[in-house]
Amino acid sequence: MEPDTDSTLILIAALPFIGALFPGLMIRAGRTACAVSAGAATLAALVLLVTLMPSVLHGDGVAAGLDWMPQLGLQLSFRLDGLGLLFAFMILGIGLLIIIYARGYLSREDPMGQFYTYLMLFQGAMLGIVLSDNILLLTVFWELTSLSSFLLIGYWKHLPEGRQGARMALTVTGLGGLALIGGALLLGRIAGTYEISEMLAMRDQIQASPLYLPALILILLGAFTKSAQFPFHFWLPHAMAAPTPVSAYLHSATMVKAGLFLMARLWPVLSGTPEWFYIVASAGLITMVLGALIAIFKHDLKALLAFSTVSHLGLITMLLGFGTEAAAIAAVFHILNHSAFKAALFMTAGIVDHEAHTRDIRRLGGLMRLMPITALIGTLAALSMAGIPLLNGFISKEMMLEEASHTYWMGNEWLIPVLATLGALLSAAYCFRFIAHTFGGRVRTDYPHVPHDPPGVLWLPPALLVVLVVAIGVAPALFAGWLVDASASAVTGSDVHTHLALWHGITPALFMSGIAVAGGLLLLALFGPLGRTWDRTPRPEAKRMFDGVIAGAVRAANGVADGLHDGRISRPFVVLTLAVLAAATGAFFRGGHEGPQTEMLPVGGLDVTVWALLITASAAAVSFHRNRLIVLISMGIIGLVVSLAFVRLSAPDLALTQVSVEVVTIMLMLIALHFLPKRTPLESPVLRRWWHGMIAAAGGLGVGALSYLLMLGDTAKISPYFLENAKSGGGGTNVVNVILVDFRGFDTFGEIIVLGIAALTIFAIGEALLDGRASRRLANWRDDVPRSKDRHPLMMVVATRVMMPIAIMVGVFIFLRGHNQPGGGFIAGLVIAIALLMQYMASGFAWSQERQKYPYHSMIGMGVLIAALTGIASWFAGYPFLTSAYTYVHFRPIEEFEVASAIAFDIGVLLTVVGAVMLALYSLSRLARRTGETVNEEAMDYDPAGPSGAGEKGAR
Amino acid sequence: MSADYATLLPEIFLAVYAMLALIACVYTGKDEVAPTLVWVTSAVFAAVAVWILLSEDGTRLAFDGMFIDDGFSRFAKVTILLSAAIVLLMSRTYMAARDLLRFEYPVLITLATVGMMVMVSAGDLIVLYMGLELQSLALYVVASLRRDSIRSTEAGLKYFVLGALSSGMLLYGASLTYGYAGTTSFEGIVLAAAAGQDIGIGLLLGLVFLLAGLAFKISAAPFHMWTPDVYEGSPTAITAFFATAPKVAAMALLARVTYGAFGSVVDDWQQITAFLAVISMFLGSIAAIGQTDIKRLMAYSSIAHMGFALVGLSAGTVQGVQSMLIYMAIYVTMNLGAFAFILSMEREGRHVTRIDGLSMLSRKEPLKAFALLILMFSLAGVPPLLGFFGKFATFAAAVDAGLWWLALLAGIASVIGAYYYLRIVFMMYFGSEDTPRIDGAMNMTHWLVLMGSAAIMVVGIVNLFGIEGAAASAALTLVP
Repeated sequence: MEPDTDSTLILIAALPFIGALFPGLMIRAGRTACAVSAGAATLAALVLLVTLMPSVLHGDGVAAGLDWMPQLGLQLSFRLDGLGLLFAFMILGIGLLIIIYARGYLSREDPMGQFYTYLMLFQGAMLGIVLSDNILLLTVFWELTSLSSFLLIGYWKHLPEGRQGARMALTVTGLGGLALIGGALLLGRIAGTYEISEMLAMRDQIQASPLYLPALILILLGAFTKSAQFPFHFWLPHAMAAPTPVSAYLHSATMVKAGLFLMARLWPVLSGTPEWFYIVASAGLITMVLGALIAIFKHDLKALLAFSTVSHLGLITMLLGFGTEAAAIAAVFHILNHSAFKAALFMTAGIVDHEAHTRDIRRLGGLMRLMPITALIGTLAALSMAGIPLLNGFISKEMMLEEASHTYWMGNEWLIPVLATLGALLSAAYCFRFIAHTFGGRVRTDYPHVPHDPPGVLWLPPALLVVLVVAIGVAPALFAGWLVDASASAVTGSDVHTHLALWHGITPALFMSGIAVAGGLLLLALFGPLGRTWDRTPRPEAKRMFDGVIAGAVRAANGVADGLHDGRISRPFVVLTLAVLAAATGAFFRGGHEGPQTEMLPVGGLDVTVWALLITASAAAVSFHRNRLIVLISMGIIGLVVSLAFVRLSAPDLALTQVSVEVVTIMLMLIALHFLPKRTPLESPVLRRWWHGMIAAAGGLGVGALSYLLMLGDTAKISPYFLENAKSGGGGTNVVNVILVDFRGFDTFGEIIVLGIAALTIFAIGEALLDGRASRRLANWRDDVPRSKDRHPLMMVVATRVMMPIAIMVGVFIFLRGHNQPGGGFIAGLVIAIALLMQYMASGFAWSQERQKYPYHSMIGMGVLIAALTGIASWFAGYPFLTSAYTYVHFRPIEEFEVASAIAFDIGVLLTVVGAVMLALYSLSRLARRTGETVNEEAMDYDPAGPSGAGEKGAR
Repeated sequence: MSADYATLLPEIFLAVYAMLALIACVYTGKDEVAPTLVWVTSAVFAAVAVWILLSEDGTRLAFDGMFIDDGFSRFAKVTILLSAAIVLLMSRTYMAARDLLRFEYPVLITLATVGMMVMVSAGDLIVLYMGLELQSLALYVVASLRRDSIRSTEAGLKYFVLGALSSGMLLYGASLTYGYAGTTSFEGIVLAAAAGQDIGIGLLLGLVFLLAGLAFKISAAPFHMWTPDVYEGSPTAITAFFATAPKVAAMALLARVTYGAFGSVVDDWQQITAFLAVISMFLGSIAAIGQTDIKRLMAYSSIAHMGFALVGLSAGTVQGVQSMLIYMAIYVTMNLGAFAFILSMEREGRHVTRIDGLSMLSRKEPLKAFALLILMFSLAGVPPLLGFFGKFATFAAAVDAGLWWLALLAGIASVIGAYYYLRIVFMMYFGSEDTPRIDGAMNMTHWLVLMGSAAIMVVGIVNLFGIEGAAASAALTLVP
């Protein structure tokens, strides 16, 4: 079964798109030229299609392809077989009629160029669907129909009811289309190919796959939404606000049949399973009956037709769902018949609307006399829909009833026949109502506009279709048999030869048909009372339900969004912490650790005491966190305990650093607290605090457990490397210091720069606060706690002054021994800074400031510069940046000590640290001055040389 | 040594440019020269991008592998530089009109860009962190550039606090990794985390914390919480920047860590990234439904899109990386167009970001509405537009790697997510008549970017502009 290759097929698929380019240009040449340009492309495609017909009818079809993105499995491959031919004929043939009809229908104000462009785009997309041999290509065209139909439905934007409809149509079919993509990908995955023709040969493989059901459901979601099957049937009637040519083309003849096409196309691989039968046949059956029932009571002509379309689509879906060959033939035949009579009916309704300026069936009636041609066309088409013999609808309806009469549903032999007859009965009823209430009856005097038959351009297209309706009805085998044979063969995958005939003898189907017609007439006779009952009966309104569902979804979505996100920053913390905790717990159990590998250090009484102190201080910090002073003090305790822990674990360097950093930061924070509220306001309710507390505790326990595990774990340590190389590589035995100034000297260099920048930033911010609003607030500062009367206690002043030289000496000592023993520039800098800080606190800032020779900014700058120059110096010696050189110096009183070039670097570190700390203090004190803090006049500067013995006045 | 510097030359050049520009502006006209500086900076970005494009192929290592210049990093860098250049150009009028066009702005963007370039080239945890922080610190500042607005400052502060937390987690992970692998270089970590063996709890925990920190940077759920606030609070031009270049950089960095450092233990991180992908896709898609502010909506949209990119990344294959790169390139292009439009949303001279404002746009501005329609459909992943191919590539990569369920969930999420894009389209074509509508004119730059981006979405479907091949060879350099 190798199809002929003929690239004409690609041209056919491309022609509508090419045709879409012209109307926009041709509109300048006039409205007719515009219509002709669109029609010409359609006609050309139709003619080319006819030339390919022989090889489809007598051969194995035509195929053509181009590479698009082969690595994605996406190929531009087309194939024309019987099913494709049937649909292509419908799309192009009815398309041509619609183009003619629209020329007459659209008014002068409507932008016609735009309309034809959209219409041709749609036609191209639709044609693409039926010609694609690649399921991904099919989905591409499928979505293009959604897009172009959206533009077409929205063409008359000024009609408010159109908007709701467009939204529903777009939402339902758009989401369904995306589901279809998923289904197509799954199907392609099962089959190992995305080419439909190859897929069709893999029925058993596909149906055996565990992914069959998900794929089936996703594909059916796409098909049902597009073809308006229950429970997605509600969007179609609401899309009827579109211009009538659009309704006739999209919503009866083509787009809504795309879903049916898809089911027919994949029928060989998907059908025949119980899942297929129960989903497809049931949905079809429900849709058929429900659609017909609602259609009877619709007063809008187009709404009536829309629901009848829904009903007929359900009928075809049901037939496809049966999964038998005969049913498939009936389905294909009914697709053809329905397109013919329904397009004609829509165009009739459009003519009525156009002429009488209303589509409300209650305001119509008696049109038979006023517009006989239209009435004839409408009546014949409606009778065909009702299933009256000698018209095409009768034959396919018979075939449907025949199939239904011997299909069981869950073992019940009555359910399907009875419901199918009911559907046919209701269908006949609304057809009769359409005829009787529109054309029958007496001529009225109150039409919004007195109707009469329109010009030929409007009635000729439906008339042609009705001719077809009658022709097929009288001689089905002659006019449709060959096409039905070809397409049914394509659907079922076997060679089908049908014998379409008007008369099959006395069959159950004939009885059912008779019941349907008689019942339909009866219903029409009883329409008055029934209609009133219907109006009184409460029933679910699809639109309201849809709106409800959407509103509910939005509410739920907002619930999710707001639930996660309430604007408070604590919420992200909670989510983040919980997520990380969960991930870490997962990793913990996945990682498969072996428990503690090494002995724990002995735990002594002191350890326990200090640990208890740590825990108590932490607990105090949390419990009394609203009192900030207590928090600061607890933090000080925690810091000290941590430095003790460092001592205990033989890390004196870290301990020294920790202690000095702790002291400096706590002191600075104490000063800063002066300008801040002393208590944290209470913001969250008790329950949330407990909840947050629990999360924090869980996080803490997690980190604790992790530390326990890691410290006792048996892992390769990185420390031996540094222990071995500190002396040989960096000339020092104090590993921490060597790491700081040598191994990771570059990091340290970066860090002191950061420290310097931080200090400068504090300064800059402090300066900015001395201007404007903040400054006024400072100027009007009221202390919220009473101040001590003795601002500079004598004892403290004396003590700090005595301490000063000692502290500086300690700093120098720590600095010098740093390279080999605990110490170093960083700690020394902090110690010196603390010594200076004490002076400021005890004697007042102004007093100390006067004795300060070098500005702190330049101290920071000098520090960074010295460090940088030390680094650069090594370049001149031919080494990378910051390579240290060292030598040993013998200096009598101090014994041997080592001078490494790193010591210069360390000086830089020291200067920067001192400068940074002091600059921060300086900024804070400037703020304090602004609040009215006076300069210390009574400093302990007793100058014995002075005549009066009075203290030197502090300047400024 | 000099070869090391030569490899880093583009980064060094940009860094020096940023510093010189800063000093030059301080000593000349300050904010008066800012518009010129924006132009110059854009041009410099574009020039550097061309420079990188023209540089010879192959992989070059600098500083003993701490810095990697390979096809992967070049692909990411070109994307980052070009998108940053376009965002800068787009922001010029917007910032100027709101008196936000300070000369620091282009300088900060340049620094952030340098940081991103370092990130995507990182071959070592330290370089990774350095690049990441350079980027983040610059971004913290630009997020709160509008200092007199409470919203903007709050956004910047939240971003900073949460960002610091995530950096902390990243560092914790990095130090655990260092402790157990004994090295910070990716090459060394690969050796420590050898294929086929249990990598041990220490490295696994290190990996978890590293990923948690990085997930924050790409705003993957559940680490996404800063995104809506920052997107909404920042000036829109900054939001446009947030939504583009940094996402590419962070995603590329994530790929570097997962494929580079932990490339031999795919199973160990695949679950995490797949999990992040699922949560991000669903949360982004669902939470966006109810949004009324388009910037917030774009925030959730970006969360969802990161999820889709993660789907590709989770595959753990060359195809996965390739699909992720394609996805990001397409995503950035779409977002540029969308933000070009959002930047121009004005009513009576004031910037509005309510979605209602788009009502009936199609009647007044059919071309703009149509361009936005294409972008929205593309963002939703509707074929045949380019956005579909991005999604398709990631789904296919996941499927081929055997991650069925992930592709399936991604499909469902994209269906949910399509709703809110369609809602915007619906607004433009059928919105109500009586909401206050936008009325501002669009300036030339915005118009060009919008139309260009929409045109790419349509024309690009022919052959994706050959980006696929580039992404494939880029992916091959990352995944051996």
